[in-house]
Amino acid sequence: MLRLRGAHISTRTHQRNRLNKCSADREKAGEVMEHSKQTQYGSAEKKDAGDGGSVLNGHFDGMVKRPAGGTGRSGAAQTPGAESGSHRATSSVMESWKEERTRSVEDNEMSLPSLAAAYTTILRGLGEDPQRQGLLKTPWRAATAMQFFTKGYQEKIIDVLNDAIFDEDHDEMVIVKDIDMFSMCEHHLVPIFGRVHIGYLPNKRVLGLSKLARIVEIYSRRLQVQERLTKQIAVAITEALQPTGVGVVIEATHMCMVMRGVQKMNSKTVTSTMLGVFREDPKTRDEFLTLIRS
Amino acid sequence: MESHHASEMNGVVTEYLKMCIESKHNGLCREEDSKDTAGSNKLSCIERAYSTILSELGEDVDREGLLRTPLRAAKAMQFLTKGYKETTQDILNDAIFDENHEEMVIVKDIELFSLCEHHLVPFFGKAHIAYLPNKKVVGLSKLARIVEIYSRRLQVQERLTKQIASAITEALEPAGVAVVIEAVHMCMVMRGVQKMNASTVTSVMLGRFDEDPKTRKDFLALTMKK
Repeated sequence: MLRLRGAHISTRTHQRNRLNKCSADREKAGEVMEHSKQTQYGSAEKKDAGDGGSVLNGHFDGMVKRPAGGTGRSGAAQTPGAESGSHRATSSVMESWKEERTRSVEDNEMSLPSLAAAYTTILRGLGEDPQRQGLLKTPWRAATAMQFFTKGYQEKIIDVLNDAIFDEDHDEMVIVKDIDMFSMCEHHLVPIFGRVHIGYLPNKRVLGLSKLARIVEIYSRRLQVQERLTKQIAVAITEALQPTGVGVVIEATHMCMVMRGVQKMNSKTVTSTMLGVFREDPKTRDEFLTLIRS
Repeated sequence: MESHHASEMNGVVTEYLKMCIESKHNGLCREEDSKDTAGSNKLSCIERAYSTILSELGEDVDREGLLRTPLRAAKAMQFLTKGYKETTQDILNDAIFDENHEEMVIVKDIELFSLCEHHLVPFFGKAHIAYLPNKKVVGLSKLARIVEIYSRRLQVQERLTKQIASAITEALEPAGVAVVIEAVHMCMVMRGVQKMNASTVTSVMLGRFDEDPKTRKDFLALTMKK
């Protein structure tokens, strides 16, 4: 069987198998169904992760590639030129992308009834009446909303970036700031929102500006921890462009801290990742931080 | 996409309702006799539901960051809907005082956090409350507590505003009550239309605030100025 995107196909097959099993299971207690779903899903993900322990949320092993002009890129020639440049972009992005897309649009549709049932259980558990007029379709709306909030799992950087890397003889800082970001806290499933500021020093290759915002979207629309989100964005840009340096600063409000728990209304969390010359050279870093503040 | 899902919803609504009813009868969320076990039973019900949600979303339930997330999310959700268990009588009983004051009393910029009952996503903002006492005044923090009781529920902003106004009216029988809520709805900001800066303002004017335009104008001038 031809495996084009092997992991993707096997995920879908697994999904289908899981659901076939579950339609028979539906007559039995829901608990068994949930358990079998979880174990099957768990084993599926572990199988598909392949080498290099990166799993669903694009966890990296902590090893960040230092941006250097084309070192360690097998196969792609180092000769300049648009064609080989874009080929290099493609191969370098695909090569280093261990992260698999875990969800498809079909998966979304197939999960909707179980998600809706889970939300109905939650409504009932909270003491509400799921049959009252305002709540009648809430499980479906909440399920669709949650799928939207985690749509980053359906997307891959390579889909977004492929065409928008250009050769440009520019080696001054490029900054895109005040990118609105919305994410979900993976610990409490409550929103996080804030702003992302990205700066990079191109090394003969620049990126379409909206693609920086799209990278933010892909990684933020997931169950996240702000530290990891910052790092993922920085590493994605590094691996796509091999720039001289990348800086990412995220300033966010965590509803889990504002709406519950300590309940500190005005608190903000700031995280940053500086790679390459942004880390090594304090003047570059200063310039970046000054420009995003102004 | 919305209409597609609507037709899908109508098609399979009976199926998922059957699933919910079946799971109920299978003892998944059985009503318990004693109160203690009922509470923890409900919590574990919600916790299991969140586990299902996590796995259906395509996440790995066994990874370190998500191990206790169902429990945390269940507790968070219970906290965010704790208003169901509270009543105005509990908090107001002792703090109503006889005072010969008939001028407007305003408590403004009361932070408010609630959950949209349609999407289960937060909305938050500020509430401004004013009332014209009729020989009885209430402890100021009690106004904020009334806001808390009604906002920590699955709400619709219009209903929330009205409930706060009605609660104050019933408790104090004042000459007039005004409540204005200005809130940002995450369901509009994070999804759907995705308008970052839109906010929703609702107001309820009862008694003299409704009848007398000058009183209303005074209230709005005092609360809405930046």
